[in-house]
Amino acid sequence: MSRLRIQIGDLSKTFREGGREVPAVSRVSLDILDKEFVALVGPSGCGKSTILNMIGGLIAPSDGQVLIDGSAVRDVPRQVGYVFQKDTVFPWRTVTRNIALGLEYRGVAGPEQERRVAEAIRLAGLSGFEEAFPATLSGGMRQRVALMRTLIVEPEILLMDEPFGALDTHTKLGLHAELLALWEAKHQTVVFVTHDLSEAITLADRIVVLTRRPGKIKLIHEVKLPRPRDVIKLRETDEYAQEYSQIWRVLGEEFAEHAP
Amino acid sequence: MNEKLKINFWRLAILVVGVGAWEWLTGIKAVSKIPGLYFIDPFFISRPSKIVERFFYLNSDKVRLTLWQMLLSTVESTFIGFFVGVSTGFVAGLVLGRNDRLARIFEPYIIAFNSLPRIALVPLVTMIFGFGLLAKVVLAWMIVFFIVFFNTFQGARSVDPDLIHSARFLGAREGQIMRTVIIPSALAWTFASLTPSISFALIGVVIGEFIGGESGGGIGYLIISSLGTLNSADMMVSLIVLAITGIVMALGIKQVEMRLLRWRPEYQPKG
Repeated sequence: MSRLRIQIGDLSKTFREGGREVPAVSRVSLDILDKEFVALVGPSGCGKSTILNMIGGLIAPSDGQVLIDGSAVRDVPRQVGYVFQKDTVFPWRTVTRNIALGLEYRGVAGPEQERRVAEAIRLAGLSGFEEAFPATLSGGMRQRVALMRTLIVEPEILLMDEPFGALDTHTKLGLHAELLALWEAKHQTVVFVTHDLSEAITLADRIVVLTRRPGKIKLIHEVKLPRPRDVIKLRETDEYAQEYSQIWRVLGEEFAEHAP
Repeated sequence: MNEKLKINFWRLAILVVGVGAWEWLTGIKAVSKIPGLYFIDPFFISRPSKIVERFFYLNSDKVRLTLWQMLLSTVESTFIGFFVGVSTGFVAGLVLGRNDRLARIFEPYIIAFNSLPRIALVPLVTMIFGFGLLAKVVLAWMIVFFIVFFNTFQGARSVDPDLIHSARFLGAREGQIMRTVIIPSALAWTFASLTPSISFALIGVVIGEFIGGESGGGIGYLIISSLGTLNSADMMVSLIVLAITGIVMALGIKQVEMRLLRWRPEYQPKG
């Protein structure tokens, strides 16, 4: 039995919008184990990104708390890496200098920095683009830079907020395969937010389905597909189809209810 | 003929016809007698041949201060005013852009000072800083400072908070966030203001030279002293030299700007 890594206890968040109180997350409790890959799934506006931001210390909970390794999250925790949905690659830095950022901040310089950056560029399949500026790269390549930039400092916990949301299906599948390969090597604890159910089934050990706003946990589903997974072949299997329909029965209600 | 060649042909044609007509019409005495056309007279608008002649005369050792020396003085003051203006404008924009309280305290003063036509300050600046280089630099600085200040201020305010967050997750401390996120973001806006700044610096300097007199020197002084002697040829020489200088400086700074902002999508080579 793995140890507890992230404990989310009775977590709520209410935003103030023009004098009105808008509840975004309502009493969410969830324990995440070390080395576990958890996906948060739900319709847009269900507060899944808000939960992720509270785990990452970017916003403070209105009620309840998040514990990482037993201590309450206040600021950005040291052991956490975060991949944003939005493109957060620094446009004025080349690929190499973007990936080197974390090492630079931590004072890792010289040949050690060069070696690790070169390794990361190779792993991300970005060879030949070392000196390219982000403006010349495709969306998929930029997101690879963002991913490697996060992974190079070897975070034990990885928070990902719809990191592949803006990409086309083909690019997405490629990045799923890469992410899984990287994860098999290091086994970080991952919390992955998405509205794409197939993405969640492909990647995660456990899927947490949230209700429409204010987000509450509707279902926690264990994905029983064996690892390592082949992101392409997986989709043809009956097991995948079963997992999908089991969750969709619940998640579909959320999409259907009050649909415009 | 391709499009580019056609355009260049017409540009050249306009120049040749324009200069030719100028030379020809000012040579006919009768033209200036036509009512309303009195100014078509070498006395007022000089003549191209006369301008070329004066250009060489003004560069010869027959004059105490050559045209070249005057130009150097103007260019020197422009660059000093430009650099001082850009650096102080950048620092002020960055500090106020990242500090809401300071920005709110200074806001009315900045608006008031910026609304004042800079040209109205020329006599005061001359009184305080004298007739030399310093007054010209101060005038250029006063204009450039605000252009760069407002741009940098805007840039420092519009730093993407997610870039700051991602730096923080990568382990950046406050100082490192300033150095690797906020300053580069703001600089992008500062750099975009460099080309207008150099042109405005030149305006400030020339105005300063109008008042500065001989000790200040410069092309502006040459223009004003030509007015004193009613010498339109010298005035035309000055204007043409000033125009060329302005173009060369703006193009040069544009090159620097493109080099500094080469990472931006709009500066990527096409194709």
